[in-house]
Amino acid sequence: MVKSDVQLDAKGLACPMPIVKTKKAMNEVAEGQVLEIQATDKGSVADLAAWSKTVGHQYIGSHEENGVFYHYIRKCNPEVSEAVEKTFEHTISNEEALNGKGLILDVREAAEYTFGHIPGAKSIPMGELAERLTELNKDETIYVICRTGTRSDLAAKQLAEEGFNNIYNVLPGMTGYEGELQKEVE
Amino acid sequence: MSNKVAIIASNGGLFDAYKVFNIATAAAASEKEVAIFFTFEGLNLIHKQGMHGLEMPAGKEHFAVGFANSGVPSIPQLVEMAQELGVKFIACQMTMDVMGLTKADLVEDIEVGGAVTFLEFAKDAAPTLTF
Repeated sequence: MVKSDVQLDAKGLACPMPIVKTKKAMNEVAEGQVLEIQATDKGSVADLAAWSKTVGHQYIGSHEENGVFYHYIRKCNPEVSEAVEKTFEHTISNEEALNGKGLILDVREAAEYTFGHIPGAKSIPMGELAERLTELNKDETIYVICRTGTRSDLAAKQLAEEGFNNIYNVLPGMTGYEGELQKEVE
Repeated sequence: MSNKVAIIASNGGLFDAYKVFNIATAAAASEKEVAIFFTFEGLNLIHKQGMHGLEMPAGKEHFAVGFANSGVPSIPQLVEMAQELGVKFIACQMTMDVMGLTKADLVEDIEVGGAVTFLEFAKDAAPTLTF
C-alpha cells in the first residue's frame, strides 16, 4: 500500500481517458501532493510517465496488482520549485553524507520513498516533520535529503529552529544519487 | 517548443474519428492548444446525426466486438470531451457548401472558416497532423 493524498479510479477506461481523467483530477491536488491513478489500460504505463514529463509533474512510479496498475504522480510547479534559493548554510555532498556516521533523513513524500530510497534512510515527509520530531535525537548528526535539495533545505531550517545541533542539507539530493536503491514495492 | 497541435480531419469513417479525437484530447489534456480543421468527409465527425453512425472500413466490421469490449468511449463522448478540454473545431466552409451543409447540421460551438483560418493557427504549430 503506497501512500497518496488523492486517488483516481480510471479502471476499465481506454486511451485517452486515463490521461483526460488524470488531468482533471490534478486540478484538485495541491502542489507537492501525490495523486494515485488506478488504471487497467496497459498503455497507461508509458502514457502517464510521458504526460507527467510533458506537463511538468514528477512521475514517481507504478506497480501492478491483479491486473490493475497503480501510478503515482507528484504535482509540481516547475517554474517555482527549481528556482527557489537554498539558504540553510550547513550543506554536505551526497558522497560525504553516504560515508558519514549520521542518520540520513529522507523528507520526500512517502510514495517517493517507497519507490526508491537510500538503504537505511529514515522517512519523515516534510509535512509530517513538526509532529514527528520525537522520533529524532537532537544530538545526533542528521543528513536531510530530498529530490533536489529544496524541501530538505526547509526541513533543515525547521530542525535547526527546534534545537537540533548537527543538521546538514544534502546536495544535490536524490536526483544525483546513483547508488543502490531500496524499494518497498515490486 | 510549440504549444500548439494542428489537426486536419479529411476522412469520415469510425477509425478516422478515433485517430483524430484520441490525439486531440490527449494533446489538450497535456495542456496543448489544439485545433481541428474538418474538411470533406471529415465533416461527418462533427455532423449532429452522422457522428452517431460512423462506419468501419469494408471488411473490418468484426472490430465492433473489440470496440465494445475494450472500454473505448463513443465518438459523441469524445467530441464532447474534446470541446470541454478547449479543442477548437473549424469546419471548412467550401466543403460545407459543396455538400449542402449548414452550421446547424454540425455540433455547437464551432468556427466555420476557410483554409486560411486553419493555416493561421497552424503556422507555428508542431506537430501538424493529417487524418
